Amino acid sequence: MDRETVTKVARIAHLELTEEEIELYRSDLEEILDYFRVLDGAPSSDGLLLNPVEVSDVLRPDEPHMEIPADALLADMNTYERYVRGPRVQ
Amino acid sequence: MIDLPDLSKINEKYRMFSEIASEISTDAEFAFSAKDNLTAVGFQARAGSAILEGYRPLFDAACIEKMRSAGGFLIGKTNMDEFGFGSFSMNSAYGIPRNPYDTERSCGGSSGGAACAAAVIDGHVALGVSTGGSIACPASFCGVYGMAPTYGRVSRHGLIDYGNSMDKVGILSQDAKDLGKYLPIISGDDRRDPASCNHPPLQKRFRKLRSVAIVKGEASAGVDAAIRSAEEELRSMSVDVETVSMDSLRYALPAYYVLASAEGSTNIARYCGLRYGRQDGDLSLKFDDYFTKMRSEYLGEETKRRVILGTFTRMMGFRDKYYAKALGVRNAIISEYKSIFERFDAVLTPTMPFISPRFDEISGMSALETYRADVLSVPPNLSGLPHISMPCGYSEGMPVGMMLVADHWNDDILLSAAEEWQKRFDARRSEVAI
Amino acid sequence: MKIGLEVHVQLPTRSKMFCSCPTEGDAEPNTRVCPICMGFPGSKPSLNGEALKLGLKLAKMLGCTIPDTTWFSRKIYFYPDLAKNFQVTQQETPVGLGGVYMLGTKPIRITRIHLEEDPGKIKRTADGSSLIDYNRSGVPLAEIVTEPDISSPAEARKFLASLLADIRHTIDLEPDSERSVRCDCNISVGKERCEVKNVTGLKNVERALTFEMVRQTKVLKAGGKIERETRHFDEERKVTTSARKKEFEADYGYINEPDLGVYHIAKMASEIENKETPMEMTARFVGDYGMTPEAAKQIVSTDVRLAQFFEELAAATDTETAKGFVSGVISSHWKGFEPSRGGLEDITSMIRRFADGEITDVECNMRIRCIMTGDEDTCKICSEDLDKIVGRALDENPSVIADYAKNEKAANRIIGGVMKETGGAYSSAEIVSAVRRLISERL
Repeated sequence: MDRETVTKVARIAHLELTEEEIELYRSDLEEILDYFRVLDGAPSSDGLLLNPVEVSDVLRPDEPHMEIPADALLADMNTYERYVRGPRVQ
Repeated sequence: MIDLPDLSKINEKYRMFSEIASEISTDAEFAFSAKDNLTAVGFQARAGSAILEGYRPLFDAACIEKMRSAGGFLIGKTNMDEFGFGSFSMNSAYGIPRNPYDTERSCGGSSGGAACAAAVIDGHVALGVSTGGSIACPASFCGVYGMAPTYGRVSRHGLIDYGNSMDKVGILSQDAKDLGKYLPIISGDDRRDPASCNHPPLQKRFRKLRSVAIVKGEASAGVDAAIRSAEEELRSMSVDVETVSMDSLRYALPAYYVLASAEGSTNIARYCGLRYGRQDGDLSLKFDDYFTKMRSEYLGEETKRRVILGTFTRMMGFRDKYYAKALGVRNAIISEYKSIFERFDAVLTPTMPFISPRFDEISGMSALETYRADVLSVPPNLSGLPHISMPCGYSEGMPVGMMLVADHWNDDILLSAAEEWQKRFDARRSEVAI
Repeated sequence: MKIGLEVHVQLPTRSKMFCSCPTEGDAEPNTRVCPICMGFPGSKPSLNGEALKLGLKLAKMLGCTIPDTTWFSRKIYFYPDLAKNFQVTQQETPVGLGGVYMLGTKPIRITRIHLEEDPGKIKRTADGSSLIDYNRSGVPLAEIVTEPDISSPAEARKFLASLLADIRHTIDLEPDSERSVRCDCNISVGKERCEVKNVTGLKNVERALTFEMVRQTKVLKAGGKIERETRHFDEERKVTTSARKKEFEADYGYINEPDLGVYHIAKMASEIENKETPMEMTARFVGDYGMTPEAAKQIVSTDVRLAQFFEELAAATDTETAKGFVSGVISSHWKGFEPSRGGLEDITSMIRRFADGEITDVECNMRIRCIMTGDEDTCKICSEDLDKIVGRALDENPSVIADYAKNEKAANRIIGGVMKETGGAYSSAEIVSAVRRLISERL
């Protein structure tokens, strides 16, 4: 696990790290990934790929319904004329 | 009628609550607390994170809805590791709960506040959440009963996600009978959480525990001693006890951390300073910079570590080796458990490899060392198996817990075992001087 | 030149993909939102069964292989309109793989079709910050990905127009509703391709691709190299511009979506019966009836009911006769004609009389025109012989005229008598029209 990888991953995850943090996480991850190497030789079987018990075929009927009034949701948000205010996109 | 002590005073000493109800209703049938990653109307839900400061949910989590309908009064939200990331509740932005047996020691985590509240406040039941052992661990460290049901038994609607394929709402209490009393209330199909639908229902008559397979695990001498005497006690309860080995269990911890951090890192992506919680950053920044600044400022160290780890394990070029492999390993571990359950009702191990460590000891641990504390509690959690931690002894004055694991949907066997155990095991109360 | 498209179509469901917020209604921002489609902590998704069914209908329409089991994935990227900073889509198990779409006689291979959720919409303010409306967040989308089999911007437009007509027909999509179509367009003139993301509407797709074609050709002619990149289409200036390099570097870090579980869709897929698409019908008319593609397209695109009537007529008489009348007088007067069962039967019997040699083709055309338009002059000419018969009946029953002034129903006796006498030679509409006209003239 090198510095470059840590900063690349942090960028993807939208985290800005100080020099100390880069080194902290680099060495932590190096140790952790080294410990993960045991997985290479681990037994593996087919079966469920999403949950440890079967979760299947739960469908919702196409009925429009709103439980909570939209205004209540917006009340705690940073809004302007009902729009949610957000950062610059261009 | 509920009769509670002064919760603010208790909280000053033990720091188990991030928020206490402003007024306690004495009319209610019973009192309960909820881990702060469960949404409840009338309280914030901050999941131990500074980035969720101010998030006031508009809907009750299903389990809280059900407890309230059954006459329960929610007395407060309990402290936890941020988003569930941790085993000692030290990664909390709102107060670190202190162990009632020794306030220099941890309550365990991530449901540390819940276990502490259960241990200290009589006549109340605590709702906790387990992903990798976050109910069993604090239950063991705080000398209470802690039950994590089969994955999918309790609806996760209103649970702030850590690992979607492993999160389970469960119960902690001094009184083992509470587990059997409240699990039926919070269980059941909820169309709002598809993972809780179409499963075998909880048995109404709890079946007896008749046979136990002991799997030797790495543990301190004090813990080992407590487990050995527990073994004797079980035999005297006419339970068949046999030692077995399970080869796949040593892969459980790495597989768990791969899957949990992969899923967890996607769940944390939404926390970017918009829509809920902290929303007060500088909007003139470009969105990438805005998100990065808010997340870097308000997410804690362990959260960042897990996010980096989890992002890595599902990245192009590494996804097959880590994420996809871990899914397969989980299935292999479940298979091995199933073969044991063909011959035994439950598997027994210590809950934790040691008694609760001191805060200064924990600060000296590396990240990997803290992860390895979960070595015994992770296997059933990864596998979605119901498990229960029961106090079974003391070492250096601190509680030791034993953990029973049953097959999927056999939660009732564990509930009856806990009730039987309680009749025999005289739990030593922590000192609660106010 | 190679062009491939990723076409995003909003599915016509009443509620959103993973929550029950309405997909239509109040246009005011953030009025059709809930904790799920705004990504609130603690919320969980739940799949709209109708969206799944519509996705399967489209997969079948495109001739795709449908898996027995399907599930969803999380695609992680950060943007203000993406409520959870991940989109729930289908990476590993799209509802359809490996189909083909016939554009006339040219096959356009379909790589995959999958289901996913739409993000919200962003408005840019004067100071550059954004205003976000999550009404669209969570609306169900089908994404159809083609192989780079399209050869020109014009063909791309043709393909989209045709594909959309078939999609509308298969899943009852409103033609001009809010539901728009967005495309990511991939085009390579030489070896390297560029992607133009998020182009709305067919005209813009053609414009964006044309601009790219010209741009890439110029670069290559000048001896330069095309850099593989993502570009945006500026609708106002009608040019494509380079997106930030960061976009291309996105690593989506897909994982499976455990909150939804899996769906066993083999049974649902096998029970789906799609309506024949206009494309299919057109092709069948060419094949079964020896029509030219233009004639077939003209009939089918005028009205599916006209095409259906053609088939009935061909069965009642013969193909050549049916072709002649349908392509001719019937098509000409179809718009404005309400095709009732009775009206269509009258037309059919008229054509049968022509086929049997009872009336000339000129007379037949006139009678059809009369039936379809009710035009007075036309109907008058048609009914000259009929006028004589009615006139005789009125001569024999003069009291009817006075009675008619008091009550219109008095004419019914005459009408009935004339119908009996003419024995089906004239349609009831013609007889009624003639009797009323002649009585009125005599009043």
